[in-house]
Amino acid sequence: MTTGDAPAPAAHVPAFAAHIPAPAAPVALYVHVPFCRSLCPYCDFVVVAGAAAVGPRSRVSAYLRAVAAELDMRADALDAAFGRPGSDARPALETVYFGGGTPSLLPPGAIAALLDQIRARFGLAPGAEVTLEANPGPDDRGDLAGLARAGITRISIGAQSLQPDELRALGRRHRPADVADVVAGAREAGIASVSIDLLYDVPGQTLASWTETLEAALALGPDHVSAYALTLDDPEAEGLTGPSGDHLPTPPGARRWREAARATQDEDRAAGAYGLADAMLEASGYPWYELSNWARPGHQSRHNLVYWERRPYAAVGPGAHSFDGAMRHWNAARLDAWMAALVSVSGGVAPMLPPGGSESLDAATADTEALFLGLRLARGVPRNAALSRIDAFAWAAEHGLIEDGPGERVRLTLRGRLLSNELFARLV
Amino acid sequence: MSIPQSRLRNFSIIAHIDHGKSTLADRLLEQTHTIDPRQMTSQVLDSMDLEREKGITIKARAVRIEYTAADGLVYGLNLIDTPGHVDFAYEVSHSLQACEGAILVIDAAQGIEAQTLANVHLALRQNLVIVPVINKIDLPSAQPDVVMDELENVLAIPREEVLLASAKEGTGIAEILEAIVARVPPPKGNPRAPLRGLVFDSHYDQYKGVVTYVRLAAGTIHEHSRIRLMGSGAETDILELGVFRPQLVPVHELAAGEVGYIATGLKSVRDAQVGDTVTDAASPASEPLPGYLPAKSLVFAGIYPISGEDYPLLRDAMEKLHLNDASFTFEAESSIALGFGFRCGFLGLLHMEIVQERLEREFSLELIASAPSVEYRVTPMGGGPVLAVDNPALMPSAGEIETIEEPWVKLSVITPSTYIGPLMELSTNRRGTFTSMEYLDPTRVLLAFEMPLAELIIDYFDQLKSRSQGYASMDYEEIGYRSARLVKLDVLVNGEPVDALSLIVHRDKAHTAGRQLTEKLKELIPRQMFEVPVQAAIGSTVVARETIRAMRKNVLAKCYGGDITRKRKLLEKQKEGKQRMKRVGSVEIPQEAFLAVLRMGDAG
Repeated sequence: MTTGDAPAPAAHVPAFAAHIPAPAAPVALYVHVPFCRSLCPYCDFVVVAGAAAVGPRSRVSAYLRAVAAELDMRADALDAAFGRPGSDARPALETVYFGGGTPSLLPPGAIAALLDQIRARFGLAPGAEVTLEANPGPDDRGDLAGLARAGITRISIGAQSLQPDELRALGRRHRPADVADVVAGAREAGIASVSIDLLYDVPGQTLASWTETLEAALALGPDHVSAYALTLDDPEAEGLTGPSGDHLPTPPGARRWREAARATQDEDRAAGAYGLADAMLEASGYPWYELSNWARPGHQSRHNLVYWERRPYAAVGPGAHSFDGAMRHWNAARLDAWMAALVSVSGGVAPMLPPGGSESLDAATADTEALFLGLRLARGVPRNAALSRIDAFAWAAEHGLIEDGPGERVRLTLRGRLLSNELFARLV
Repeated sequence: MSIPQSRLRNFSIIAHIDHGKSTLADRLLEQTHTIDPRQMTSQVLDSMDLEREKGITIKARAVRIEYTAADGLVYGLNLIDTPGHVDFAYEVSHSLQACEGAILVIDAAQGIEAQTLANVHLALRQNLVIVPVINKIDLPSAQPDVVMDELENVLAIPREEVLLASAKEGTGIAEILEAIVARVPPPKGNPRAPLRGLVFDSHYDQYKGVVTYVRLAAGTIHEHSRIRLMGSGAETDILELGVFRPQLVPVHELAAGEVGYIATGLKSVRDAQVGDTVTDAASPASEPLPGYLPAKSLVFAGIYPISGEDYPLLRDAMEKLHLNDASFTFEAESSIALGFGFRCGFLGLLHMEIVQERLEREFSLELIASAPSVEYRVTPMGGGPVLAVDNPALMPSAGEIETIEEPWVKLSVITPSTYIGPLMELSTNRRGTFTSMEYLDPTRVLLAFEMPLAELIIDYFDQLKSRSQGYASMDYEEIGYRSARLVKLDVLVNGEPVDALSLIVHRDKAHTAGRQLTEKLKELIPRQMFEVPVQAAIGSTVVARETIRAMRKNVLAKCYGGDITRKRKLLEKQKEGKQRMKRVGSVEIPQEAFLAVLRMGDAG
C-alpha cells in the first residue's frame, strides 16, 4: 500500500456498480395456480391435472386455503422487515400476476377474495397491472366478465398456434376459433390489455403456417404478443426435480413426446420464424421490447419487466420464484408438501412456510444478471456497463450481435437476439 | 534336491486360445503335487486368468515340476508357459527357445486353428519335439478322429503319436507326463563350462529389482555369484537365486539346462533386457548366446489423457508399466486436438488394447487412443535417408515424397468352408491378395492372403469374426515392405489442418475416406458464429468438402416466469461447455467430436 497526496486511482471502481445486493420489499407479486384440465407434453411448469384440477374431488379449495395462508405468512415477514404496506420502505404492489397452470379455472369469486387479501396485506397501487393467464377452450377460459369485475386488468391467452393441426400436435384442447372468442370476450368484459402467447419451432410447423398464425393473431387486434420457441428441456437432467426442487419430474409420455418433437425441430426454421415474427409484429405496430415479447405502446407487461429489470418480487404457490434484491428463493414443486406445510390439518401443528430453496447473490453475480437480463430488453444496458466486460462485448460487436442504442446504451441486434446466449455465456 | 541334467525336461504348452492350455497346466501341477491340492482351491488357473484379464498373459510364466515317472526316477520338468495370442509370437518364441519340447494342445471339437499352426511352426523352427494332445475329448461334440486326420494332413503328425485327454476331467494326464519324459530330450550344456544363461523374460519387483527368468545354456550359477549381463555390461551381486514352483523358491545353485530366476537388484529393466546373456563376472564366457531380435512394434497410436491435467500421471504410469512390459515403446507427443500425450508402439492391436487397459485400470486414468497406424518407410524426393514414419501427422507432404513403402503380412485364416466367399471379399476389399487355399478336412479350409498390415489393424479381426459367425481364426506374420500408392489425407477445419485426424490411405480409397470423415465431422462439430468448411485434402487438392452452416439461433426464448436462477445455470453450463472446447484456429470443437471420429476407425 502506498500513501500520499495523489487521489486514489478510479480504475478499480467497478464501472457498473448499481447492483450491490440489498434486500428490498417487492413491487410485484406472482401467484402460481397449478391446475389444468390436461397436461401439455412440452410444459415444465408445476401443474396437476384431471380430477385434482376439476370436479368434485378437485383440490382447488384446499389450494385456495393454502395460498391464502402463504400470502399472510409472506406478508407478515415483509411487515416485520420493511413495515406495513404504504410505509416508506414498503411500496404498494405495481403488478400482480396469476400464472399457471390455468388460473382462469379459478372461480372469479376466489380471484376477488385473493385480490382483496393482497390489497390488504401488500397494497395495490392505483392503476396496478393485474394479469391472469387463460386458456382459450370454452371450459377453460372462465367467466371473463366476472374476472374483470374481480379486478383483472390484463389477460394473457395461451393460444400457442392458430393452426388446428399444430394445436393437435401440441396436445392442446382448443381450436383457433376459441382464441378469437376469448379475445372478443375479454374486450367485451372491459379487460384493458389482451396478450396472446404463440409458439414457433413446433412439430409440423412451416414458415408459411407460422405466417398464417401471426396474421390470424394480429387480425384479432391483441395489445401484446409473446412468441416463444418450443423449448424441450429435461428438468430432471438439470437436477430440478428433487424433493426441494422447483420442478416436477417429466411423465414418461411427455418425455417420449419431447424426444419425437425434438427430432422435428430445426434451427434454421426457428431462426426464420423469429425473424418473420419480429418483422411482421414491428410492421403492425408492435415493436419488440424483450427477446420474446412485442407490444403496442403502453402495453408492455409491467410484471415481466420487473423480472428483467431485477426489481424485487414476491411469489406464492408451488414452484414459485421470488427475489428480494439480494436473494432468490423458490418454493418446492410438490403440491402435497406445499399444502401440508401451510394448512394445519388437525389443528395440532402450526402452519409454516413451505419447503423450497434459495440462493444469495454476490455483487459479481448481480452484475452479471443485470447484464444478461438487461440485454434481453430492447433498451439494452448502459454503455459503461459493457465496459466492465470489454472482451465479451468486443467479441459480440465483431460478430454483429450488438449495436449502439439511444442514450449511451448498447443493445442486441436482431442477429444478436437470436444468438444472445453466445454473448451471455461469455458474461456469466 | 539336485536332479541330474539327464533327468531335466524343459517344455512349453502351445495352443490356440481357449483350447484348454491353462486347465491342462493346472492338472499337470495337481497330479504331480507341485501345488498342494488344498491350495489348489485358489486355482492356479483362475489366478492366471485374472492376470490374463489384466493383460499379464503377455508375460511368460515358468513352473518347476518334480515328477516321479513310471521308471521310479524323479524328473525335473520345467513348464514354461507361453502367451496364446498372435501379437505375442515374439514372446512365444522366447519361451520356446528355452525348451526342448512342446505340448501341442488342440481342442477335440474345434480342431486346428490359425494360431495352432503359427505356434507349431514356431516350435518346429526351434527344433522342438512336439507332443500332440487332443483335449476336451469329454465334449459331446468332440471329433478326435477328424482332428487326427487334420494333424496328419496339415502337420504330418502321425496319429499314433497323438494323446487324448480331458484336462477338465483329468483324463490322459498321466500319459502326457510320461510322454514328456519319454519324448522330450534332456537339455544339453556343460555345467562346468563358463556360465551362459539366456534371459527369456523379466519382471520388476520393488524389493528385488529386476527379476530375470533365465535358462542356463552352460555353466553353473551359485546363489552368491556376481553376475554380468553381457549385452548391457551391467554387473551385480545376486540377491536371490531360485526356481518357480510356481511361487519363487530360492535354491543354492542352478546348472546348465535348468530354468530359474535371478533377482538382480538392478533398478532398470534396460540393464537386463530379454535376450541378454547372464555370465559370471569373475570368469565370464567369451561369447554371449545368440540373443533375440528386439521386440518390434508393428502398431502405433497416440495415447492421450482425456483430461489434460492427467498428463503427468500418464507419464508416470507409462514408465511404471514399461518396467513390466518392455515390449511397448512410448515417446511424448502433442496434438492440437488431444493435447499432450504419447506416441506408442505395440506388438499388435491386442497388445495395444492391453496396454491401454492396464494404464486405465491400474493407474485410474481415462485415456483416448488415436487411430492405430503402422510404420511407413518414406524415400524423400531427390534421395536422402529413408524416413520411418509411424504418425500420419508427421508424413511429409506429397511433393517431398519419392516413394512410400508399407509393411505387408502373410495372413492365414482357418474357416468353415461356408464362409470362404464373405472372407475372400473382406480380404480383397482390404487390398489383400489371395495366395492359396487348402482343405484341412472336408468342411474346413486354410486360406492364405497377403495384405498390407495397415488394412489388418483397422477392425479386420472383428469383421472376420462377424462374417464367419465367430468360427474363423486368423494369424499373421510380417513379410516385409512393399511400395504402395499411399497418400496422406489431411482434414482441414476452416482451412486449418487437424493433426490428430490425418490418415495415410491408399489413393483409391482417399475419396471415400475423405467423404466419410468430413460427413462425420459435419455431424459432430457444432455450428459456429460463421460458416465453417470441413475439407479432406491430399496436399493442396481437396477431395471432399462439407460446410457447417453458421449458427442461427442460440437463445433462451422460453417462458421461464421469474425463474432467473435456472436461466443463469443454463448459461453457466454453456460457458463450461465452451471452456472444454478445443480450438482449431477460431473454430471451437468439443473433444467428443474428435473422440467420435477416432472411434469411427474402430467401427471401420
